[in-house]
Amino acid sequence: MNSTDCSKQINGGRRCLSVINAHIQRHTGALSSVRQALWLTKSSLIHGLPSHITSPAAVPENQLLNQDERVQNAIKHARFWDTTEPRPKKEKYSNTLLHNLLHLCATLQPTHPAIGRRILAENYSLAASWKRGDDLFQVRGQNGLLHCSMDPLPRVCGETEVLETSDQILESFYPVSPTIDLQQVNVYKEEINCSGFREGYPYPHAHTLYFLETPDSNSKLRPEQFRAKMIMFTFGNALARAHKLYGTQSVLEHPITVQAVGTNGRIFQFLVFQLNTTDLSEDDGIKNQVWLEEDVELYDFAKVRPLIKRKEVKVRIPL
Amino acid sequence: MALKCLTRTLRSLTLSQPALLSSQAAAQPKLGAQVPSAISLYRGFLTTASLEQNRTLWKNMDKYTIKPMGMKKTGGRDHTGKIRTRGIGGGHKQKYRWVDFQRLRYEPSKEGRPFEEKVVEVRYDPCRSADIALVAGGNRKRWIIATENMQAGDIIKTSAVIGRMAVSANEGDAYPLGALPVGTLVNNLEIQPGKGSEYIRAAGTSGVLLRKVNGTAIVQLPSKQQVQVLETCIVTVGRVSNIDHNKRIIGKAGRNRWLGIRPSSGLWKRKGGWAGRKIKPLPPMKSYINLPSISAN
Repeated sequence: MNSTDCSKQINGGRRCLSVINAHIQRHTGALSSVRQALWLTKSSLIHGLPSHITSPAAVPENQLLNQDERVQNAIKHARFWDTTEPRPKKEKYSNTLLHNLLHLCATLQPTHPAIGRRILAENYSLAASWKRGDDLFQVRGQNGLLHCSMDPLPRVCGETEVLETSDQILESFYPVSPTIDLQQVNVYKEEINCSGFREGYPYPHAHTLYFLETPDSNSKLRPEQFRAKMIMFTFGNALARAHKLYGTQSVLEHPITVQAVGTNGRIFQFLVFQLNTTDLSEDDGIKNQVWLEEDVELYDFAKVRPLIKRKEVKVRIPL
Repeated sequence: MALKCLTRTLRSLTLSQPALLSSQAAAQPKLGAQVPSAISLYRGFLTTASLEQNRTLWKNMDKYTIKPMGMKKTGGRDHTGKIRTRGIGGGHKQKYRWVDFQRLRYEPSKEGRPFEEKVVEVRYDPCRSADIALVAGGNRKRWIIATENMQAGDIIKTSAVIGRMAVSANEGDAYPLGALPVGTLVNNLEIQPGKGSEYIRAAGTSGVLLRKVNGTAIVQLPSKQQVQVLETCIVTVGRVSNIDHNKRIIGKAGRNRWLGIRPSSGLWKRKGGWAGRKIKPLPPMKSYINLPSISAN
């Protein structure tokens, strides 16, 4: 036993396929997308968010005072007012918009005390690794904004639906291997799982992740790849938590739920991930579940200059 | 090149310095003294920038990549800077996509077994007349020359197995010549096994497998020349894509300039024996197999 461990160390570590800060390459068409992320995380996809998340939005007591006007003010602030130049840059306005909307939601705290038990964290390093078949996979990186809370999120799906997922078959990508387009790195410490925070942190449970588009023009992600990145990092957070609580290779009795929101400043993608099992080595069995709502537009456009066609003002600027 | 000549002459001058001193008079006591001889033996310092040319250094990448690379045009000039081939120059900028001509390239861990790949997209390549296809299989993607009816989503097979029965090949698949039935149209022929294809790569071309003779195969190239190669050489089946390439009409002089073709001299010149239609017998068949020589001793 000891000799084999030593030999692994001496050989320079194992090769591992990794999603380091979701370094997914462009150029790939049908590859490297949501389908691949679903295979890697052994999950099944459901379009549309679960009803118990969307239904409270219609109830008036969950809404803000002058909600429409305040949201429009938030959009205007982000898109028009927050700069000395004619128009703010995309990474700046998407960041401002996200923080404004988060602030608006936080003003509901008097009626919803649970909001007070959450805190925002930025630039934390996530590390999660798992085995899938013969290969070792890992998710690493600093992905951005995280809402962490003192209490875990309640599960979305009941036991019966979770058992039903074991009948679903994962998609096959033949002849392409599902590990295409992932970076190969050497790892020297296997089974690293770190949720980004130390023991004793008062807000240990990951609640919602917020993804913005990276300002790096070289690694611009297409919408499919952006959603895949969201899935991988949400999964990484849930897995790190599960490994800490329950260890590896087991079906979870209390599934771990993590949410995610991704935006490019105008279009939003919403994601809810329920981790049902950490037993990811085989392709069959209970799957994890992903609810994905794609391409929700907050507003159609925010024009800085009025659009004039044939001497008629078609779109006025809303100042 | 010029820099190398310069350094070589400088080196030879310094080496010959002791010989010169000994041949001269022994008036100089010290060897290292500055000798004002006829040949000025000072080590000059370089006043120009690097004289190396980056002509082909842009091609020096050791790892295969599908990303298009910026290319440097030569304009028909060779390493001395003079025009070697007339009529080349200008034209639209082109990015080079590294086409993998060795179709039978196994992935590092999966040697020896026939494999399949999926065509992701077929696109225009500015560097050649044929279209290229991005294929993905296993854990890697590469560019290959597309055949006539290749479309995105097709699955193409590559195999090195020569069975007793000839394989009924689909277009786009790659097999050794020994495994194909006589009379198939082939392209991307390699004449030495494992070297990569060097023949029949232009748009719309195809060769014909004429006969198979104990361990070798005879293929007719598009110029009607026949070659004899080993039967383990890999070829792809079908015609190369973009078959209407020779039917296109340039239309105007500007289009030729976009392609990088400079105008020829407009001066009327008397044509010699090279011009006009020639009717000759076919050259003898070229054989690329190294047969053991049948020599008496």
